[in-house]
Amino acid sequence: MSAWAIMPNDGGCQNLKNFFRNVEGYGRLGYSIGGTAPMGMPSEIRKLNKFILQPNVAFGADFIKPASERWGVLAGIHFENKAMHIDADVKSYHMEVTQDGQSMEGVFTGKNDSHAFQWTFTIPIQAVFKFSDKWKLKFGPYFSYLTSCGFDGFAYDGYIRVNDPTGAKVLLGTDEKERGNYDFKDDVRKVQWGMGLGVDYFFARRFGIYADLNWGLSGFFKSSFKTLDQTLYPIYGTIGIAYRFK
Amino acid sequence: MKFFNHNTIVAVALVALATATTSCFKDEPLNAECDIEKAWVHVDDLEASFYNANDTLLNVLSTEDKIVFTMRDDADVTAFAPQFKITAGATITPTSGSAHDFSKGPVTYIVTSQDGKWSRKYSVSCNRMARYTTSVIDFDFEHFELDKDYHKFYVWHNVLPDGSLGNDWATGNYGFYIANSNSAANEYPTFVLENGYDGHGVQFVTRDTGPMGHTFGKPIAAGNLFLGKFNMLAGLMQPLKATEFGIPFTQKPIRLSGYYQYSPSAPFTDKNFVEHPERIDAGDIYSVLYINHDRNGNPIVLYGDNVLSSDNIVAVARVKNVNETNGQWVKFDIEYEYKKDINPDILANRGYNLTIVFSSSIEGASFEGAVGSTLKVDMVKLTCEEKE
Repeated sequence: MSAWAIMPNDGGCQNLKNFFRNVEGYGRLGYSIGGTAPMGMPSEIRKLNKFILQPNVAFGADFIKPASERWGVLAGIHFENKAMHIDADVKSYHMEVTQDGQSMEGVFTGKNDSHAFQWTFTIPIQAVFKFSDKWKLKFGPYFSYLTSCGFDGFAYDGYIRVNDPTGAKVLLGTDEKERGNYDFKDDVRKVQWGMGLGVDYFFARRFGIYADLNWGLSGFFKSSFKTLDQTLYPIYGTIGIAYRFK
Repeated sequence: MKFFNHNTIVAVALVALATATTSCFKDEPLNAECDIEKAWVHVDDLEASFYNANDTLLNVLSTEDKIVFTMRDDADVTAFAPQFKITAGATITPTSGSAHDFSKGPVTYIVTSQDGKWSRKYSVSCNRMARYTTSVIDFDFEHFELDKDYHKFYVWHNVLPDGSLGNDWATGNYGFYIANSNSAANEYPTFVLENGYDGHGVQFVTRDTGPMGHTFGKPIAAGNLFLGKFNMLAGLMQPLKATEFGIPFTQKPIRLSGYYQYSPSAPFTDKNFVEHPERIDAGDIYSVLYINHDRNGNPIVLYGDNVLSSDNIVAVARVKNVNETNGQWVKFDIEYEYKKDINPDILANRGYNLTIVFSSSIEGASFEGAVGSTLKVDMVKLTCEEKE
């Protein structure tokens, strides 16, 4: 981006100082809500029974280098959790589980309880457009590295047709040993990326609020993961407070 | 110059957030299943066609594709009109309730799912019951094949009185298949013994059900074979209900004999797969005769949790102490112990069920036993009372 292009190669300390002279620094603390979900709801998912809020804190620092009166470039480092816990009704949902050389494939109709989380270090790199001193619009990619993650849950209160809809019908109950538990944490992609869109509103010189949308464009699972028919993407919105420290 | 006012920007941001976090549910997909769940027939003169009313209504398991009405040998089936309960939205050809000539053999029905993508073929037949003419019935286990759906595990057939093959032997192999679909046929709990006492026999080995089986709290699967049906439906929730013991039987059994070998393995584990070195596994061979209906004529089936304890039991024959045989065939020859008198009329009208059960772990139904315990069985002979 143009702002970084003007960074001097050989200007020494003074040039570097000049470069950072007008760099703005922001601290952020927010809360995220969203889902690790297929792009476009498949018709097999019928109804959301529960959406349980998760400890999705996000905090970090952003730096904006103005490139012109209105435009600038943002880079930052965030530490955040993107988690969801949902309970949904599904119909004829295809799953294939492989474990230690054995696989179990089937079509499930019933209830599904899923819990996903990912604690990540995220680096956003965004173009910034300032409408005014108060309002900023931000847009650009982000890259995340997962420090811990999980995806587990259970299918329950329904039935599986083994292999396909004409296979043996097996009921699943609600107790731990009567339901289909799954845990796919080993298949989660550790490096992810996506696009972010956000807006900052500073109601005071140093204090503001912000809203971001981070749309994952790399699948939540490794491409070798075939259990679910749909690719899941982490899509989370964050709202929070911002503090300008520089 | 301002392109947007603040409210517009906030609105755009909120719409973007809302799009991401709310879900747009699509129309419900059409049903993909295509089962016959029940089959029944209404006849004006029940006594002329059937032995009892329960034979006119058949519950069809999801794993079955043969539906057999057992009828009197002189029943008229030239215009027999069975009716079917099928999956909601599915269609059946020929139509439910249409009359066909079943005297020429089975009639094929095809059920197509509501979404049109799946179909199942069912063979429906009227078996005008032939009776065993001899008082001795041999089970030599020479009639077996790989299951028709997946060609993974063995199924056995009994020889019916008219020489045709029946489907009265059941195993839990199908249940093992769910969590171990990549296993070879002789890695299943019940498989063919190539060198039996005479020809082929049956071999039963208690198996570890693998990581997925453990997930479901069913760490082991004992090899088993029994007269009856294995019903997958409740297999995970109530595994003892999966074994529906017994088939209607019209003779009075007296003795059960045959040959077996047994070798207990170690360590013995409980349903949580915790080892109990002090316990030694044993096999199980028994047979039960019971009344298959209540006072009001409603059908009764005995399951894994009551096949040896139900008040409906009339007679039991059980081999005591199926223990280590050191690689030798051991002959068993046991008498049925009758707890109640047999009613000949009820017997003749298919009012009693008989089961014969083999298992490589005597507590296998409770998922207790030792992985590797092996039972071999061959040349089983059921001796019944001579007809007058």
